Amino acid sequence: MSHVSSYLSHLFLPGALALWCAAIFALATMWGYAEALATGQDGAKVFARRSYGFFAFSIVLTAAMMSLLLMMRDFRVEYVYQYSGMDLPTYYQFSAFWAGQKGSFLIWLFWGALLGLLVRRTAGPNEPAIMGVYTLTLMGLVFILVRENPFVMLGKTPVDGVGLNPLLQDNWMVIHPPIMFIGYAASAIPFSFAMASLWRRKYDGWAERAFPWALGGFLVLGTAITMGGYWAYKTLGWGGYWGWDPVENASFIPFLFGTTMIHGLHMERARGRYRRANYVFAFLTYISVLYGTFLTRSGVLADFSVHSFVDLGISGWLTLLLGGFTLLGLFLLILRWKEIPTEPNEDPFLSRGTFMVLATITILVAAVVITAGTSAPLLTKVMSNPSQVGPSFYNRVSLPIAILIALLLSLVPYLSWRGNKFSEIARKMIYPGLFAVAVTIAAAVWKVHDVFHLVFILLATLALATNLQKTVGKYRVSGLRGAGGYLAHVGVGVILLGIIASSGYDESTKVTLTQGVPRKVGDLSFTFQRFIPRHGFEKERMEVLVSRPGQKPFLVYPKLFMNLRTKQTMANPDVRTTLFQDLYVSPIDFDPGQPRLQLAKGASGRIGDMDVKFTGFDLQAQGNAMVAMAAGKPVTIGAKLAVTRGGKTVDLEPLYQLDPASGQVKTPPLLLPGGGALVVSGINASNGAVQLDATGVASPMKLSVDVTRKPLIQLVWFGLYIIILGGGLSMVQRLREVRVRERVAEAKAGRKAA
Amino acid sequence: MKKNRLYLFGGLLLLAFAGFSFTTFTDSMTPYVSYQRARQGDRIVQVAGALEKGSYSYAEAKESLYFTLKDPKTKENLRVRYKGVKPGNFEDAISIVAIGRYDDKTKEFEAQKLLVKCPSKYQGAEVKTYS
Repeated sequence: MSHVSSYLSHLFLPGALALWCAAIFALATMWGYAEALATGQDGAKVFARRSYGFFAFSIVLTAAMMSLLLMMRDFRVEYVYQYSGMDLPTYYQFSAFWAGQKGSFLIWLFWGALLGLLVRRTAGPNEPAIMGVYTLTLMGLVFILVRENPFVMLGKTPVDGVGLNPLLQDNWMVIHPPIMFIGYAASAIPFSFAMASLWRRKYDGWAERAFPWALGGFLVLGTAITMGGYWAYKTLGWGGYWGWDPVENASFIPFLFGTTMIHGLHMERARGRYRRANYVFAFLTYISVLYGTFLTRSGVLADFSVHSFVDLGISGWLTLLLGGFTLLGLFLLILRWKEIPTEPNEDPFLSRGTFMVLATITILVAAVVITAGTSAPLLTKVMSNPSQVGPSFYNRVSLPIAILIALLLSLVPYLSWRGNKFSEIARKMIYPGLFAVAVTIAAAVWKVHDVFHLVFILLATLALATNLQKTVGKYRVSGLRGAGGYLAHVGVGVILLGIIASSGYDESTKVTLTQGVPRKVGDLSFTFQRFIPRHGFEKERMEVLVSRPGQKPFLVYPKLFMNLRTKQTMANPDVRTTLFQDLYVSPIDFDPGQPRLQLAKGASGRIGDMDVKFTGFDLQAQGNAMVAMAAGKPVTIGAKLAVTRGGKTVDLEPLYQLDPASGQVKTPPLLLPGGGALVVSGINASNGAVQLDATGVASPMKLSVDVTRKPLIQLVWFGLYIIILGGGLSMVQRLREVRVRERVAEAKAGRKAA
Repeated sequence: MKKNRLYLFGGLLLLAFAGFSFTTFTDSMTPYVSYQRARQGDRIVQVAGALEKGSYSYAEAKESLYFTLKDPKTKENLRVRYKGVKPGNFEDAISIVAIGRYDDKTKEFEAQKLLVKCPSKYQGAEVKTYS
């Protein structure tokens, strides 16, 4: 008993209680649906629905409790202590929510529970089985959290938390992860429809109902991946938007499987084909989400990924979850495989059906190859020492795949289900073909001389042009209805062009700029104007003037700043976007012009022509600092200095002001007699040392930057927007269809009853 | 039959692609090796180690970052050169993984990619005070 009470006393009970309730209501939901299946009673179904409602409510409550603890900065709770801190602004408390494993499972569960309320409404007659499987997928996450409780308390009350990883302190990181988790949660929906259909032998109708969900998951995942890429590009400063890192791949693989699923479902809807394959696609999409989570969250890749997590005891549970659902899916697939009704393939070669098959196989191959690459450390572990494959693997393998995809895409708009003659297609393709040839020649004249790249550009442009032609044609006939798919394909063509131009033909130069001295990079001239110190939440920035003869000069502000808590240097690039290219200026190194001084009490050092002696901190600079600290009020500390310059010694006291409530630090520069200024750039309370930065005293400041020109990179983002728009149109269309069919069915049932 | 020939063609294409993927896979594999093994410089490998304090510098003329990695087990040192933007968290890392190839002429490990690990700080792995 004492064991139990000691366990309980280390939990934040309201939160833990909400979580336990969720587990109980999840069980009740499943029991209710099982009863409904066994007896066919409506009462059991009503019970199950109500239980699900309570389950969803408990999960929302659990998440609300966690947010509240973070907002209140209740550091008694281990999770809050680990990921939050006093200096973290309130809106970053949301990032802290999903910074750790437990929190990310909680947000996943949160979306899953909410989506379930909608799934129930769209499930139709097979609701008990569908919701049973769906609740089971959530149940796994609930049990992981019950075991690895996020509400564990430390047993003491620290005054401050460890703080949030500075890389996550970014606006994109506030919204990118939760959207990703909506996508993850949504992937369980088509899976549940498929498994329930196999289980109950209801092979008809699941595909239609799952179709809008599959499209929705595809869209959300696509949006999240776009945002992640955008974040990497705009803030990380390594110059790209995609690095084939395991964490990135973990979201891209389900996206590819999801793409095969929506094409498969389209085939089933239009032609009654692909009925077996769609079960496999729904299975693979969900399992790949679990597998990706397993790879990135279990610690197996800890030595291989930039942002993989170390194992915190969850890996065993994740393995169980992954293994359990894989076995369940495989079992049902094998058991029912022979029973699933199929249509024989009688499509002629040049027909839309055959090309859809080829396209899905190609995407499937891409997904499998990327999965293999991401799993390399696991695959090679068996043989010898674990190895990973570099980005070159993915880049080389994807080039032929992309070329094939572009080829298939460019023909799709002219193919009918019945089949076509080649001459007929060729005639229709004259104008788009001429356009593609013109673009390819232009590219060759510009600077593309690689044959593969030229073929790539030819086919990508062709795909773009033919699909655009068809989109416009469809729009003229029936409005936006039915144009979504073609529009999405236009986006694929646009992206392919953007990728090849921006990553194959970018030009990068590294230069070191001395303050005030212009340097030429190509036809541009760069001048490092000044260093702008931290001001409020605005980080330290460098102002660089960029000018070109005959054009208006402009300023860019790359940032290289110190995270005050961890004392790490962080770099943010600045991007100047024009119609045809991005100018990407990424800071590499900043030399403030003299060695920064770190002085312990009583020590002296030299900055430029000055001798500086640190005699101690002044805690009475503006009121008593200790009293203010204890009260959580703004604290001002002075650094007592004796500065000797040109034989004369003066006592100076630059200030360091900290507002614990907002985490804001102010370090007003103190002007020095004889020119220049001094700033207290940091204080170290544990060893009583001070860090001083001087400006304008010694040698000039220098800034090293990487200047990259990325042609046509806008096309990557533009293409992604088009795909998302096209997918959205399709989803609206499929939802409308489901609704119309339901109304027809209702009308029929009504007539019968009358 | 024409259709069978098509399947055969498709199958062969898939097989060819599988072969291509496999060779690319083995070519671009970067095994984890000891510094000693890395010094042979015959292929792209990855090495891990702790950043030697104060060894980091940026050389303007060569547009490169220089630093020394220390193997925590063997206490061996490896001088690394990296042509790129310094990753965030760099100085704070408990472990740095460098992927690249050893250059016998300069006696430096030329890194193409760096992975910076600082898990203990943010994962709070060592904070376990409850029983």
